[in-house]
Amino acid sequence: MFPKDLLSLENIPLEVMEDILDRAAYYKHHDVEGAFFSTLKGKNIAVSFWEPSTRTRSSFELAVQKLGGNTIRYSPEMASEYKGETIEDTIRTLISIGINAFIFRHSSPGLVGRIARMVDIPFISGGEGCYQHPTQALLDLFTLRERGLNLHGLRVVMVGDILHSRVARSHFYALSAFGAGLTLVAPPVFLPPELVPPGVDSSHRLEDTLPRGDVVYLLRIQGERQEKGLIPSLREYAALFGLNEVRLLLLKENALIMHPGPVNIGVEISYDAIKMLHKEQPGRILIQDQVKNGLYVRMAVLDLLVAGKVN
Amino acid sequence: MDLLLKGGNLCDPRASWEGPAEILVRKGRVEAVSPSIGPVDVPIIELHGKTVLPGLVDMHVHLREPGGEAAETIASGCAAAAAGGFTAVACMPNTSPALDDREAVACVRQRADSAGLARVYPIGALTRGLGGKEMSAMWNLAQEGVKGFSDDGMPVIDGGLMLRAMQFALLLGLPVISHCEDLSISSGGVVHAGTCGYRQGLPVIPSVSEAVMVARELLLQKHTGARLHLAHVSTRESVALLRWAAGEGINVTAEVTPHPLFLTEEAVEGFNTDAKMNPPLRSPSDREALLEALRGGLITVVATDHAPHSLPDKEKDFLSAPFGVVGLETALPLLWTMLVERGLLSRAELVNCLSANPAAVLGVPGGTLAPGAPADLVVVDSGKEFTVDRENFYSRGKNTPFQGWRLRGLPVLTMVGGDIKMWKGRVKGFSSHFPETDALITGRELF
Repeated sequence: MFPKDLLSLENIPLEVMEDILDRAAYYKHHDVEGAFFSTLKGKNIAVSFWEPSTRTRSSFELAVQKLGGNTIRYSPEMASEYKGETIEDTIRTLISIGINAFIFRHSSPGLVGRIARMVDIPFISGGEGCYQHPTQALLDLFTLRERGLNLHGLRVVMVGDILHSRVARSHFYALSAFGAGLTLVAPPVFLPPELVPPGVDSSHRLEDTLPRGDVVYLLRIQGERQEKGLIPSLREYAALFGLNEVRLLLLKENALIMHPGPVNIGVEISYDAIKMLHKEQPGRILIQDQVKNGLYVRMAVLDLLVAGKVN
Repeated sequence: MDLLLKGGNLCDPRASWEGPAEILVRKGRVEAVSPSIGPVDVPIIELHGKTVLPGLVDMHVHLREPGGEAAETIASGCAAAAAGGFTAVACMPNTSPALDDREAVACVRQRADSAGLARVYPIGALTRGLGGKEMSAMWNLAQEGVKGFSDDGMPVIDGGLMLRAMQFALLLGLPVISHCEDLSISSGGVVHAGTCGYRQGLPVIPSVSEAVMVARELLLQKHTGARLHLAHVSTRESVALLRWAAGEGINVTAEVTPHPLFLTEEAVEGFNTDAKMNPPLRSPSDREALLEALRGGLITVVATDHAPHSLPDKEKDFLSAPFGVVGLETALPLLWTMLVERGLLSRAELVNCLSANPAAVLGVPGGTLAPGAPADLVVVDSGKEFTVDRENFYSRGKNTPFQGWRLRGLPVLTMVGGDIKMWKGRVKGFSSHFPETDALITGRELF
């Protein structure tokens, strides 16, 4: 059966993920101008982001609206009005005034799950600390499939701050469920051996791994990592792990470039590399496709988890 | 009161006693131990073959009072001790205010006396306010009777300060107890740096953060000659360093808590805050190394690091919830069931690590029932199986990772200084139907 919540991809069966991708394809196909869906008609969805977000939050809000539902924002600034009330209490209050589902982002792993277990309505993660970001992984899969790629046997080389990446952790389950191979590349500080799941390769040398990738998946490096002294500087990171013009030549001829955004140009990928790709092979950069497809994947998730539960 | 314990099966390795014994108690002390004492003029408690051990000594507990009474009070913590078969506990100084001056220590002793359930030995703060900047008034604290010095969970990062504190503690003849953790490596961490913690996206406390400090303390001991005790070691690297230290003749004792002997990092799966502790539960190979070190005598003390927290605090999200688990009311049955019954530890070794050795480290009486010793003892119903239920704890802290475990080795009578403090789960002053002296005098059967 369908899960109640979508907080992690760890225990989501392949059939459910496939169902989401199929529904997303349906919505994308039918999303012509003026199209109207009534999947969530009369449903109130709380969008509660406790960490900054532009694309994920907008994408979720738009997804709800396109499905005919109402969004209600419940954010930390509003929460201060409920002084002395815990998040749990506020959530119960919102449920009793008619919220049918929560879309939640929070920095503390497990916090959302703890609350979700206490109530009956669906909770959908919009990214949870360094834990999981399930819709991001699903929209990545959707984007690759849309290119007509067979995920089975595909090799994804993932580069960057694996340690702090919730996207990487969701992909540990998503890619392997679809039979894709994963190679992780990062400096040791971002790639402790205990983090690497069974069946996944890892390396500290970008040059060694790039030639193997059908997809190069770049992860964002937060400026905060430099401030905390985890790496000497973003520049030094880029010197060893940034994708630049020279390293582009190491890639397979048609290898694709993905990034969950927002991109730090000059860190994860150099300006020249982007310019060259845009000029010569713009189809190899999937970053805008990922953003666009996020909408449909989130519509599909809402359809499956929220509409499916409606009496 | 004076009485005779008959029909017990005594294990007292310090007195080289293993087998049936009658124990005559007068004026709070053991007067005689013999297979048969003969006619006496005192009340008799018939034990029907139950096990008798010297009272357990827990050299690492947090009683929370003053300042943390929502989590525990001295009285509730001592009741938990009595319920768990502990007759003496050493309490850590991280209260509010900290135990860094005479008044605070005197206050703890006074409240412990009025609770009257267990011997309480305060550990003094090593640095003022546990701030890690300057030594506390160590001589002054020693005058008030502290049995050691420690900043426990606020480890002293400044190596020079630790060196000088060890030198001064040596003057006073008291041990320094070190919680080994280099915060510059582990700060912000909440779980072991293992597969499970990384998968959950939680910040980690790597094993090396403990091991580098163990190495520092061992070298400082060698340099100063101080009495050094390592609190709750948790890694195989620490065990390897202890092995090296033994070869070097470094004078150190070390303790292990029960939980890492029976649990690994997987216990935090599902963000279980009842398994959140510091040091964290680590890998199976760490668990094996600790067990091996305990069995082989590199680690000579089991202490619980009893760390009660209120329910609202432990119900927070994993990052925000405080570290620590309670231990006083589960330690003996855990060790009994998981180690003694399985032949991994003898009864004598159990008594040594839970009673005689910690008493020796603290330099306090106890650990034996030889004639003249205080009549501090615990009677164990070794065959009876029970289910751990936090709702039955006397501790205000219900934060145990062992809820629902089926165990044997339940303490059924705890005596301190000849006075019965716990009988069949009832604690004096806390429970109704406590056996009054009259019941003994009239010869009523207690078991």
